[in-house]
Amino acid sequence: MDMRQRILLVDDEPELRRMVASLLTGAGYEVLEAADCAQARAAMAARRPDAVLLDVMLPDGDGFSLLPELRRSGDVPVLYLSARDENAARLQGLGLGADDYITKPFLPQELILRLGAVLRRVYGGRPEDDALTLGPATVHWGTGTVTRPEGEVSLTAKEFALLKKLADNRGNIVTIDALCAALWDGPMVGYENTLMVHIRRLREKIEADPSHPRYLLTVRGLGYRLAREEQA
Amino acid sequence: MRARNGLKAAGLVAASALLIVVLTAAGLLAFIFYNMSAGRDWTAPSEKVSAALIWSGNGYTFTGEELLGEQRWAMLIGLDGQVVWSLRKPADVPEAYSLTDVASFTRWYLNDYPVQCRVRDDGLLVIGSPKGSVWKHDMSMGMDVLLQIPLWFAFLFFLAIGCVLGLAFLFLRKWFRQAQQVRDTARSNWVNGVSHDIRTPLSMVMGYANQLEEDPALPPARREQAAIIRRQSQTIRDLVNDLNLTMRLDYEMQPLRRARLRPAALVRQAAADLINGGLEDRYSLEVDVPPEAEEVTLLADEGLLKRALMNLMNNGVRHNPDGCAITVRLALQGAECALEVDSAGGPGAPETPPTAPPSVLNEDGSAPHGTGLKLVEQIARAHGGRFEIVQNGAHFRGRILLPAGQAQI
Repeated sequence: MDMRQRILLVDDEPELRRMVASLLTGAGYEVLEAADCAQARAAMAARRPDAVLLDVMLPDGDGFSLLPELRRSGDVPVLYLSARDENAARLQGLGLGADDYITKPFLPQELILRLGAVLRRVYGGRPEDDALTLGPATVHWGTGTVTRPEGEVSLTAKEFALLKKLADNRGNIVTIDALCAALWDGPMVGYENTLMVHIRRLREKIEADPSHPRYLLTVRGLGYRLAREEQA
Repeated sequence: MRARNGLKAAGLVAASALLIVVLTAAGLLAFIFYNMSAGRDWTAPSEKVSAALIWSGNGYTFTGEELLGEQRWAMLIGLDGQVVWSLRKPADVPEAYSLTDVASFTRWYLNDYPVQCRVRDDGLLVIGSPKGSVWKHDMSMGMDVLLQIPLWFAFLFFLAIGCVLGLAFLFLRKWFRQAQQVRDTARSNWVNGVSHDIRTPLSMVMGYANQLEEDPALPPARREQAAIIRRQSQTIRDLVNDLNLTMRLDYEMQPLRRARLRPAALVRQAAADLINGGLEDRYSLEVDVPPEAEEVTLLADEGLLKRALMNLMNNGVRHNPDGCAITVRLALQGAECALEVDSAGGPGAPETPPTAPPSVLNEDGSAPHGTGLKLVEQIARAHGGRFEIVQNGAHFRGRILLPAGQAQI
């Protein structure tokens, strides 16, 4: 049985559909295509997709009014893929309860990452997302523990939140402000030193040599970055 | 803004009301004056009537019946107060009059008959009209008041003219604004439409170029060419975005979503976004936020201000294809908050201003440095601040200064 997640792609531009479909297929998704609202409704009823990529301007209607209709037949996550970049359109889409609003033109990687993030949020991670591999150390999100050759250690709640935030943006810099906001629910001033203490303790748990970290890297003046495996 | 509109509406109502009052008064006066002269038709020409009454030695002969008409009556009161001659005199009109009677009816009515009087050598000729046919009013006025009447008329006249001109101005301005708005909307719809139509094909250019760029089966030179296509498409995308936003700011179609934010966090986020977006190794990026600037807050539109910073940093990247040092700095200058981006010069950039600082905008409003910097200027202005450029050879500094009232320490 095909266990791949099924994505319904609604866009009236065949060339664009072909490109996005090849991207999605390459990323391991099954793709259903629809060129207009009518085909989208039919596909929705027949094949129950796991997520919908929805264009706003369609030949027989618009994506904004289609969303509530699609939602009526099941609480499916919807990402807008639109050529309208005005704040008003973006806010309208998100206000309708869309899970994301991606503006054309987009980079393939961006689309795949944002779709993956929505699917993880809605359906939970894929099995391989349950663990994070950092060289010899493996972080198990389910139990909040780190397994290393020399034994297993548990993460504190703050360390867990910190590592999760960095892992969700792996490869990218997360600013100290964003980390503080994730840890203390809001922009906090003067928490930077406390943050550094948490980072040091986290390094002791995940890094082979905490004073020369390979994964949890400091970006001076900006924040921190969890290096990708190939970068470490 | 709402208070200003309210004031304008009140002014409009007051001016209209005043204009109505003045016009009504003028109309009333015109009606009265017109009918006062027309009203003389209701009276007889007393001079001619008097001339038609002649003493013939033993009695009066009257030849002016036509002048009197059918409705009127006439009598001549002798110098002794007795009626000496009459024609169709009603029965309720007395035969003899005292001095006070005469004083009274010459002004008003005689037994409710409206009368005209004419003094003759042999007495007083009284011409009466039917009861209820003429309204009489005695008018007298101080000379000083009478002399002021032209002034009052002039005052009312100019007041009315002022009201008319004011109303005409308001209506014309509204009409012009509506016409302007129609033009602006047409223009913005056009730009919106073009940018919308560019986005979908650009998605494909960017998407396929990126796929080729990451295809390990292709030789490195081809992949590098694909990377150039991808980067240039991103430049076009940024240009389209800037054009759209600059137009919306120009036509005030982009409301500011102001919230209290820490510029220190914004500067770091913008810098992180630039690096996360794939800043190449030949560029270095340094963020300089002094401790005293950490807790400053601004009331600003986060998205727009970040866009301005990104544009300044990208400007440095674009104009230094061989790489450069970019520094983003947050500084407090007196009561102003300065967001600075240096490129090429780095932290030790020369502080001396150039001899002729280039202006941000040309006189016709176009941007010598491209849409990107025009947008920065617009965003700074929309926040009540300003944007400065200092250029010394290869060193470029863009500085956004936000006013004191918005900074809190």
